[in-house]
Amino acid sequence: MSLTVALSKGKLLAGSEALFRRAGLPFPDGEGRRLVVEAGSLRFLFVKDMDVPTYVEYGVADCGVAGRDVLLETGADVLEPLDLGFGRCRLVVASPAGSGFAPHRAATTRVASKYAKVAAGHFLGRGLAVEVVRLAGSVEIAPGLGLADCIVDVVETGRTLAENGLEVIETVAESSARLIVNRASFHARRDEVQRLVETLRRTSR
Amino acid sequence: MNGTHRLAQVPPGVQCFVGEEARRRRRIEEVVVSVFEGWDYEEIIPPLFDYADVFTGEALAPKTYSFVGRDGNVLALRPDFTSLLAKIAAGRLRDRKAPMRLYYSGEVVRYEPVKAGRQSELHQMGLEHLGGEARAADAEVLAIAAECLERLGASEWVLAVGHVGIFNGLVEGVGLDAERLEALRERVESKDPAGVRASLEGSGLEGAAAAALERLTAMAGGTDVLDDAARVLAFCPPAARAVDELRAVVDALRAAGLADRLAVDLAEVRGLDYYTGLVFRIFARGLGFEVGGGGRYDTLLGRFGRPLGAVGFMLGLDRVALLLDRQGRAPEVTPAPAAAIGGGDLGAALAEAREKRASGTRVRFGNGEER
Repeated sequence: MSLTVALSKGKLLAGSEALFRRAGLPFPDGEGRRLVVEAGSLRFLFVKDMDVPTYVEYGVADCGVAGRDVLLETGADVLEPLDLGFGRCRLVVASPAGSGFAPHRAATTRVASKYAKVAAGHFLGRGLAVEVVRLAGSVEIAPGLGLADCIVDVVETGRTLAENGLEVIETVAESSARLIVNRASFHARRDEVQRLVETLRRTSR
Repeated sequence: MNGTHRLAQVPPGVQCFVGEEARRRRRIEEVVVSVFEGWDYEEIIPPLFDYADVFTGEALAPKTYSFVGRDGNVLALRPDFTSLLAKIAAGRLRDRKAPMRLYYSGEVVRYEPVKAGRQSELHQMGLEHLGGEARAADAEVLAIAAECLERLGASEWVLAVGHVGIFNGLVEGVGLDAERLEALRERVESKDPAGVRASLEGSGLEGAAAAALERLTAMAGGTDVLDDAARVLAFCPPAARAVDELRAVVDALRAAGLADRLAVDLAEVRGLDYYTGLVFRIFARGLGFEVGGGGRYDTLLGRFGRPLGAVGFMLGLDRVALLLDRQGRAPEVTPAPAAAIGGGDLGAALAEAREKRASGTRVRFGNGEER
């Protein structure tokens, strides 16, 4: 049976496709709506970015491509043998520009985020009380509307933040796309997995 | 909601097994226990709860269900058998000569996210080899694990062996603070060389040891990994010793016909914090999680006042059942059909049923409606 690879339908898709094609690996053609697609020696699952680590952790997919940001948030127990180098971004704390906001001055900081676990861990780990408002998207508008004091979110260029009147206060973590591998597949399907890892290693270098 | 009843709700993490599910689990347990008995291990049935401080350890303490006893002492439901057996070996069995070979099969309870057949209540089948010559005991325990999987009829399984002395040897005496050490260990376990590099930045750990820690993330594969490891780790005597220990065990298992079942994984440094030497995990195709695992713990018994090296392993019954099911190898447990017995004369029918039972026939007794 072929190896199964879980890929994000979101922002890492283009980079993943480019990498697989450059490496001469099979990749499904066309803009299909099918979410499980066989292509050559591989089977691909196209899922939400936050779900990629879950599919790999459970071994439903042997490998996957996930951002470090997503791995931090899900806490999935997977192997991360390769930094693929694309999808670079930062997880940051941002608050309204010029507001002079500083978390340690408030009894409790209200943070809006898609990354609820990362956000809570970041503040609690420094001894700061926090109230996390979990949102599914458009996080940038939360401080302006009074829903939160600040946000924890990913930034690439910082333009979206600026357009919504936010500025970065601090970096929580750097992120980029990682090749992830299921722990059992790594050993139980060693030869196939190692071949794929080596092929991608040579290409992403 | 439709069909719900307040009292019918189950708390998260519990499960119940009925009929065929229960029979399969029982059969699996019988197979595993017969292997343990076959290697001359003695069953031990330890208590369900004990003082909570028996189970202290960074990995287990936060997962332990503890409560205050009538006398004000903090007690805990067992989250693990190994600590309990170590305590018993140092206490009730203190006059027994080492080596002692003990096995158990029963439930442990842990606060743990429900994952892949693992609920809060897990049934573990395992053994502990306490005292005795270490390499022989290590090899024996791995061979027993292998035989369990063979007898269960599992296919495409692998014993992935490592040794915590390699990682520990490389970081020993460098004075990394606890947080950095944890971050580093976590990145090694994830086989993330970039992450290892990042977590060593500004730590003062550099040169050969830093390079070796990064290399560790790629030291996984066939048994030839050990040759590479011996070369790379030659500069660090404790790590090199760990590689030698591992090689002695691996060589013995290869000689015993298990070469194809072995994988070496020197980045395998996870696990419970009491491990001090060999560690291993059992993986199989079809299940994304380990089926079981174990390792050597040479300092745990000392905590209870009887310093003695030991090694053990366990299989998770839930995981084994799930694996065999996925591989289409679940044990066949359909019983023979029962003879229906009953009728108007209750006494005569009961006499007939008892007669049939005496000859070993399965009966279904009923007052007529069973016919």
